[in-house]
Amino acid sequence: MIWTGTPKASGLARVLETRRLLTLALAGALVWSLASAGWGGGIVHTGGGNSFKDFLLALFPPELSPGFLKLAVAASWQTVVHAVAGITLAIVAGLPLGVVASGSLGGPGRSRLAIAAGVRFVLAFMRSIHELVWAVLFVAAFGLSSLAVVLAIAIPYAGILGCIYSELLNDVPHGPLDGLRSSGASPARVLLYGRMPMALTDMLSYGFYRFECAIRAAAIMSFVGIRGLGFEIQLSLNDLRFDEVWTLLLFLFGLVLLVDYWSARVRRSLGS
Amino acid sequence: MTRSRITFARASLYGFLTLAVASWVYILAGADNGLEDLFSGQAWSNACSFLRQLSGLDAGLSGGGQPAFLDLGRWADTGKLAYKTLLMSVLAISFAGLGVLVTFLPAARNVSNGELGGRPSAGLGALYHLLRLFFAFTRAVPELVWALVIVFFLSPGVLPGAIALGLHNYGIVGKLSAEVVENMDPGPARALRSAGAGNLQMLAYGIIPQAMPQFLTYLLYRWEVVIRTTVVVGFVSAGGLGREFRLNLSFFQYTDVALIILWYLILVVAVDLLSALLRRMVRAG
Repeated sequence: MIWTGTPKASGLARVLETRRLLTLALAGALVWSLASAGWGGGIVHTGGGNSFKDFLLALFPPELSPGFLKLAVAASWQTVVHAVAGITLAIVAGLPLGVVASGSLGGPGRSRLAIAAGVRFVLAFMRSIHELVWAVLFVAAFGLSSLAVVLAIAIPYAGILGCIYSELLNDVPHGPLDGLRSSGASPARVLLYGRMPMALTDMLSYGFYRFECAIRAAAIMSFVGIRGLGFEIQLSLNDLRFDEVWTLLLFLFGLVLLVDYWSARVRRSLGS
Repeated sequence: MTRSRITFARASLYGFLTLAVASWVYILAGADNGLEDLFSGQAWSNACSFLRQLSGLDAGLSGGGQPAFLDLGRWADTGKLAYKTLLMSVLAISFAGLGVLVTFLPAARNVSNGELGGRPSAGLGALYHLLRLFFAFTRAVPELVWALVIVFFLSPGVLPGAIALGLHNYGIVGKLSAEVVENMDPGPARALRSAGAGNLQMLAYGIIPQAMPQFLTYLLYRWEVVIRTTVVVGFVSAGGLGREFRLNLSFFQYTDVALIILWYLILVVAVDLLSALLRRMVRAG
């Protein structure tokens, strides 16, 4: 090999350049956003400071009367129902879409890749619109109902799950797959006995993470008028019952913690 | 041991399936399930007319006139709102990032128990648990609920929305960044320590350089999520496209709604591309 000396130096220079550019870009974004936020007078509106104090003090103690706790449990159940229904539909739709988008199934060569690219585009569209925007559109088109809300959660979540699942299915080690192929397995078998088992743990744990997100999504569906934790939070805020707001926030916190703990245990039991 | 582990995973599967069946039964048995709506001809013709009004083919209740998305003036007006939306998302990520930078170290177990230097103390231990609890709580409450609460104290505009988004993302990025420090290779920090480095020097040369790229990558990933959510937070905090979206919807100005969805998609695609570019720079730098 002939030592020329330049490539390495220019490579290092390029790295330094990148780093400086990046620092400049991020610092610029920070300064720009802070400078144009409009800090001028009237950020806190009249009485805002006092109600903030009231809000914090209302945590000690939150509303714990049996009647209200019963209402909070009922609202939590509503939220969980919408979240579970939404995430199951998202998995049922997202898994096959993800398989097709990964390009590991379907016809020969070019047409398969074209289909995969098309599906990937559809998935990107599904997930680029926020679940609440979907909900607003569905309610405008079909009227308010539980199914409209469930669909509004399921569509963007199927888009995300499909995208991540296709990546996970493609990222598995290729050795075992080649082994299966050389012993004459069809693409469907390679998927079923090769890709799926190897990606399963990651797919499960991502599914659980999305379940946690679905609970938050279901809670904010109150915005289109469906009942649940968000709905009750809005009602209590309107009544200035901050102690009730805290109780409901703590219920939401508890739900998310519960799913988090469940998913951690499942992941540990699958040994990842 | 292995047996009981597998049993837990299996029990979880059955548990989830039971929950799923119960949820679907509950929804479909409910009076307002909307099943008839979804399969009735009336609802579909409503939906079609909604789509026609969205695309400007049918004047509907808006009183007719040119569709908003063919009107350059309307593009310019909503463009200003799109700028505000973008500003809100960057501000939110800045708030979250600054907050995490200040708090992520004490929230890492190996820092709080003195594994990476410093002296363990009861105070540090308590701080660790307090911060972890705060991360978990801020992340459990959705942005929109934070926004609902915050507009009680702050005047509507870009700022309350950015704070609401920032709070939720602070919890997410904070947890992830603390875990980066926990999973980090302790070698460089220990070497620095044995060479006599002080706490501040260890931080500057042993911990930050390792944790920074991951931290920035997480922030950029979250920015992609935040731009999608900013519109929604704008519903309540009155900043940017969100407010306009709600107003237009309630005045049945559906072509304006379509215009806002177009701007929204433009923002989403632009932020995704920019974030991907910046993330590549983080990896290279």
